[in-house]
Amino acid sequence: MLAKSVIDDVLEAALSTGGDFSEVFVENRYSNQLILQGGQVEKSLSGREFGIGIRIFKDFQSVYTYTTDDSREGLIKAAKKAAQAIKGEHILQPTSLERQAIESLHPILLHPREVEKKRKVDVMKKAYESAKNYHSSIEQATIKLFDEEQMVLIANSEGTFAEDQRTRSLLSIKSIASDGIQMQTGGHSTGAFKGFEFFENLNLEHYAFEASRMAVTMLGAENCPSGKYPVILDNEFGGVIFHEACGHGLEATSVAKNNSVFANRIGEKVASDLVTYIDDGTLKNEWGSITIDDEGERARKNVLIENGILTGYLIDKFNSRRMGMASTGSGRRQSYRFAPTSRMTNTYIASGKSTNEEIISNTERGIFAKYMGGGQVNPATGDYNFSVMEAYLVENGKISKPLRGATLIGNGPETIQLVDMVGKNLGHGPGMCGSESGSIPVNVGQPMVRVSEMTVGGRMGEE
Amino acid sequence: MNLENFKDQLFAYGTGQGFTDMELAYVREEKFACSLFETEIDSYDTSETYGISFRGLFKGKMGSAFTEKLDEDSVTYLIEEAKDNADVSEPEELEEIFSGSHFYKQPDFFSEKLKQVSISDKIALLKSTEPYIFEADERVTAIESFTLQSSEVERGLLNSKGLSLNERKNDFLIGLSVVVKDNNQIKNGFIVKNTQDFSKIVPQDIAHAAVEEAISQLHAKPVKSGDYPVVIRHDAAAMLLTVYSSIFSAENVQKGLSLLKDKEGKNIASPFVSIIDNPFEKQGLARRSFDDEGVATSYREIVSSGTLETLLYDLKTAKKADRESTGHAYKSSYNSSLEIAPTNFFIVPAEGEGDLVGKVEEGILITSLSGLHSGANTISGDFSLAATGLYIEGGVIKHAVKQMTIAGNFFELLKNIEAVGSDLEFCYIQMGGNCGSPSLLIKELAVTIE
Repeated sequence: MLAKSVIDDVLEAALSTGGDFSEVFVENRYSNQLILQGGQVEKSLSGREFGIGIRIFKDFQSVYTYTTDDSREGLIKAAKKAAQAIKGEHILQPTSLERQAIESLHPILLHPREVEKKRKVDVMKKAYESAKNYHSSIEQATIKLFDEEQMVLIANSEGTFAEDQRTRSLLSIKSIASDGIQMQTGGHSTGAFKGFEFFENLNLEHYAFEASRMAVTMLGAENCPSGKYPVILDNEFGGVIFHEACGHGLEATSVAKNNSVFANRIGEKVASDLVTYIDDGTLKNEWGSITIDDEGERARKNVLIENGILTGYLIDKFNSRRMGMASTGSGRRQSYRFAPTSRMTNTYIASGKSTNEEIISNTERGIFAKYMGGGQVNPATGDYNFSVMEAYLVENGKISKPLRGATLIGNGPETIQLVDMVGKNLGHGPGMCGSESGSIPVNVGQPMVRVSEMTVGGRMGEE
Repeated sequence: MNLENFKDQLFAYGTGQGFTDMELAYVREEKFACSLFETEIDSYDTSETYGISFRGLFKGKMGSAFTEKLDEDSVTYLIEEAKDNADVSEPEELEEIFSGSHFYKQPDFFSEKLKQVSISDKIALLKSTEPYIFEADERVTAIESFTLQSSEVERGLLNSKGLSLNERKNDFLIGLSVVVKDNNQIKNGFIVKNTQDFSKIVPQDIAHAAVEEAISQLHAKPVKSGDYPVVIRHDAAAMLLTVYSSIFSAENVQKGLSLLKDKEGKNIASPFVSIIDNPFEKQGLARRSFDDEGVATSYREIVSSGTLETLLYDLKTAKKADRESTGHAYKSSYNSSLEIAPTNFFIVPAEGEGDLVGKVEEGILITSLSGLHSGANTISGDFSLAATGLYIEGGVIKHAVKQMTIAGNFFELLKNIEAVGSDLEFCYIQMGGNCGSPSLLIKELAVTIE
């Protein structure tokens, strides 16, 4: 992607003013996005992104520059210009680069660029037909298909020289149902670190039906009541609450500067005994998986909370300096346009001992959140909020009527203390996570989980 | 390869491959950003990037592709991919490459004076502000983030029908988030300022505004949940308008994805509401003299005293509705598909209207909203959003309220606006367009308090 001799010279030029670490990140990415609406392909766009990011550290200072100019002169000029931000003597020579043999943890069978677009359109049409024909009240269905192949080269002054390829595929289905007066939506997304084989082996009907079923169900739903309730969060994407409520607070980005409620608390009890929280980038072919992170470190399984005790953080190279702790293979970025920082991969609550039946039948009156929407957290305070796309009232230990417009709010560190039942059916759901280093693919996951009390906001008012 | 050569090679190869009309658009960006932590600059980022997008008509259908590399490989890549994309697309209306508007207003979006501000002056601004932050109040415990960013963007559009347009703009942004603590209660306050005039940034003001915002949220108390009159402060109102600006897109209306179908010329909001879209508005970030199809942009009244005057159109939707494009074709970047978005889109402030809080006997002042990307349904208009705010009693702010949610419907909210403030401000983010709003007094919203 870039000649080794050029990389050598750039790494050296970057250290010319006294920097103590330099890094080059080269990215070449091919992507396709297709949108099908009303049964017809509305949009189809392909593209190639190519650029280089150069990073320099000096103690607790980080300098980053990126460019689309890959000429030797252009890159050396960019490195020298960035180095001007550091005031010092040139003391360090880069360690000589040795190419690492990286064997991908996630085999790819059909590379997206080698598959005709017509075959992708066929997948989308099939999904559309299933979604549309699910019920007569389905007015519109939108299918989005996205795939990409990202080639990266990461080299640094400590001798790292690694190349990797990440291939990802994603399908999202959104259905709109109408009864002539109102419109309601339902949606489902599924993705993997896989090529076109992912779409071919997908149970399209299942996902399309789920999206349409949700929209139709919501037509008949009542406005959600508000107040404090026990909340049952279903497995897979239900895990987004713990992604927001504790995952972000465990990232070095906020821990290193003491801006997180979890800072300096390793060994302390921070959650209910039932909570074991793990980030694992090595899960085979999962949407949030990686083989190496965007700093060239190998992906690994990081146990963050074990039986309620805080055991670790997600750490990137720069924040590892301030924290005095090693990198955990968590340095990620959207593209060369972002300096990497600590991020999640596939993060989940490990399975517990309860069955779904036990969890529901033990809930006298509460809310069952079947499909979660997105959410947000304020890392400094731990306050979070998110929306529920499909919710139900639980009455006398049984799931009863559907509810719309539910929002859950609370405080992350408090909520993880209130987990009082954890199911056995661990599952993962894909999402895009936005933070300092851009938008990246992550999985959230959990088995069915019950929180003894959460604040539910809706239009109905208190009962 | 320079742009002119690249264009010539691209169009020549494209013609050979069967393309009839072709267009090349580019964006060149230069950015500088840095942040301060504990009196030192801890991050310092610079960049220079270039991106190209291609659109062309192949067998009467439009195909698109983009690249960031100007080399011969990219010439073949763009043409082959655009051809494949045209091939699979099944457009309802045939798209066109635009031959040009009669008149393009000369843009004045670039400040030479801002360009002259050196990096050391910018760093000095951060460093000189920091002491004021800790002096402002003893309850300030930390700076969560303190960053500035300056950008220069040039965009251009060249096509085989002889149209050749370009413009550039620059902007400067400073953002500060501080953390305060009192009696084990932690709150943060966030402020962002956009400007083209660096001299207008006053260190004390930035520091005080962020600290005040954080302090005002301390000692939050619970208030009974229920339906309350609500004042949505200008910044929160602008965020809400940002999310719902898509309802004005003619594309969404034509596809049945917006409830403004058949509403042009009809009443959609309270008589206090007028909305302007002004691509030449100096306070707005979405300044542009031509849209992403090359159509000239212009000042437009979208809502006039509650009446919807026009939707936002691009060439395709205008053709379908048998009218002219309003110049709202938009690509969020060269690597995105065309859509419809406003430019600088704002609710007109009521001159001389003073304090909206004073009009409220008992209610809530909303100071920020979150969860907008998931809790607001643009199709039904329903929203249920997390909010921070203050309790109002007897026309006076009494205290902060614990975290809450507000729920309602945007289409109903437009009709329930009882007063509009004079404090228009634009949002610090551009999502599609850049929205602005004064504070709004809403008759009633459902409020749930933690």
